[in-house]
Amino acid sequence: MTQEEKIKKDIETTFGELVNVNIQREKRVRVNAPKNMVLPILAYLKQRGFHQFTLLTCVDWINDGEFELVYNLYSLSYNVHVLISTRIKRDTETMPTAINVYEMAFDYEREIHEMFGVVFEGHPRLDEFLLEDWKGIPPMRKDFDTRKYVEEKFGVKDLTKELFTRKEQPYRGPGSNG
Amino acid sequence: MKLFKFSQSRSLWMMHFCTGCGAVELPPTMTSRFDMERFGIMPMATPRQSDLLLITGYLTIKTLKRVVRAYEQMPTPRYVIGFGSCTINGGMYWDSYNVIKKLELYIPVDLYINGCMPRPEAIIDAFLKLREMIAKGEANAWKKYIENYEWYKKNQSEVFDVEKWSVKK
Amino acid sequence: MSILYFFLYLLLVTIVGLLYMGVARKVTAHVQNRYGPPIYQPILDVLKLFGKKDAASHGVMHTLGPVIAYTGIGATLLFLPLGNHTPLLHFNGDLFVVLYLLVVGPLGMALGAGESANSNATIGIARALSMMLGYEIIFFMATLPVFYANHTASIYKVILAQGTFPKWAAIMYPISFIAGLFAVQGLLGEKPFELVIAPHEIASGPMVEYGGKFLGFLQIWHAVGIIVETGLFVDIFFGPQNILWFFVGTFFVFLASVLVNAVMPRFRIEQAVRFYWGIPLLFAILGILQVYLWR
Repeated sequence: MTQEEKIKKDIETTFGELVNVNIQREKRVRVNAPKNMVLPILAYLKQRGFHQFTLLTCVDWINDGEFELVYNLYSLSYNVHVLISTRIKRDTETMPTAINVYEMAFDYEREIHEMFGVVFEGHPRLDEFLLEDWKGIPPMRKDFDTRKYVEEKFGVKDLTKELFTRKEQPYRGPGSNG
Repeated sequence: MKLFKFSQSRSLWMMHFCTGCGAVELPPTMTSRFDMERFGIMPMATPRQSDLLLITGYLTIKTLKRVVRAYEQMPTPRYVIGFGSCTINGGMYWDSYNVIKKLELYIPVDLYINGCMPRPEAIIDAFLKLREMIAKGEANAWKKYIENYEWYKKNQSEVFDVEKWSVKK
Repeated sequence: MSILYFFLYLLLVTIVGLLYMGVARKVTAHVQNRYGPPIYQPILDVLKLFGKKDAASHGVMHTLGPVIAYTGIGATLLFLPLGNHTPLLHFNGDLFVVLYLLVVGPLGMALGAGESANSNATIGIARALSMMLGYEIIFFMATLPVFYANHTASIYKVILAQGTFPKWAAIMYPISFIAGLFAVQGLLGEKPFELVIAPHEIASGPMVEYGGKFLGFLQIWHAVGIIVETGLFVDIFFGPQNILWFFVGTFFVFLASVLVNAVMPRFRIEQAVRFYWGIPLLFAILGILQVYLWR
């Protein structure tokens, strides 16, 4: 039995039918769980040897009206990644914070809050982080129109035309100002 | 006066504002392979001491605030080289919400180096070109900034709050 | 007349010092397998800095700081004999005046940089003044045997009291000479003891807020400083030379320091002071014991 299969079996025996575990490929196990099961799984995996909280990321499924939050864990002793994925409703649902399990989640949750507008319940500091003086909807959401924003903000009339019109000039070697 | 102009063209102290890219291209330019010190160009630690501001790569709005402040701290005459495609039209960040597209709208630029990233040969070439321009008295972008100060401030205020980010006495 | 003489003297020493800095950059470049700038490059740098249109000042003391530093090192020149050339001023005990005047330079910088309220400048000044606990003591203890043996405290008399080649203090008191070499490295601020400037760490320390003409003043201060510090060492340890051999002597002392600079990393401040209170202090004490027991 490989390490991945052992982990899969352990999670399935502990959490039963509530979660759906599959081995995506070598060294990568993916767990699809409902929202309220995420923190118990994180706590369980932490005491099972997954000491490294690698990343928290977010995917905007705008057609389903849902955000997908993916918690990436890694274990140095097993050399296996575990991805814990959960889906929440786009504007109505909030997510409990994971900083009580992994302190590393502090900055990632701030970033996700700023870039997607996901609210993490119990997070002590959900304020301005990477963007300074940002107004309007968070920029990484799918309904944020980047091109329109750029054309307005940076005073570029027609983005593709103005920035990428090729002027017919011969190439004059490196550093030429043409 | 002629002596001062000659010394200005032969001794350029550079502050490289490495915003992300370009920090890899400069060490070969400084060290034994390309050796820019033979042209009297030295990296300097602070904007107050330097004559040449090298903007390497993309500038986010957040960085632009710092660049403007650094530029205004430099004693005149001062020169700016825009380094890489990102300073010309945004480069690969052409539709990014957070990267400025044309550097010359916010601070005056003497010279651009094209490429993503430019090779050290191109950097040396640009330095020699700038040296020529200074000796001929053509590198006058810093005068443009003083003459059209209102225009530059207006452009800056379109992307960030100039009042909030200017030095308070 | 002697005022005119002094200014000629100052001009000569400034230009020679700037050329030394050029040689240092060239030598360092060759050590690093580069071609390096021309030797007159520092002169161009200084001309450029004095040609700057404006320079920001943070107050009166900030403006006067570099001037005080340059004046202090210029005043040291009054007492410094260029070889067997009679200095403008000399009396019994001028060694102590020189040791005090050498402190005026860093003190001027401290006053100037203090007003700029830049934290990097404050760190640099704190390091400069702590470093003095190291090299000043060693320098004084290393030169003590020479003055003790000749029963004088005047630099000019010490030079004349030494003989020609085999009677140099460097040969008579070799242990003190080695201790003195350690101290000169710290006096010049070259690399194991470069922590006052440390461009990559505290952004050139006390000079951080200086630009334009102020920086030009600091450059020529450094240039004169090189000649004064190596010159004092050559005067005390190599006896009466004519002015040409004096500059050859200072050049080689400076070259040795630059070569060490080119291959060395940088100490932290507590390491630097601890280093000075180790081996160099031992050498200095042995040097004093030698002259005490021998006489």
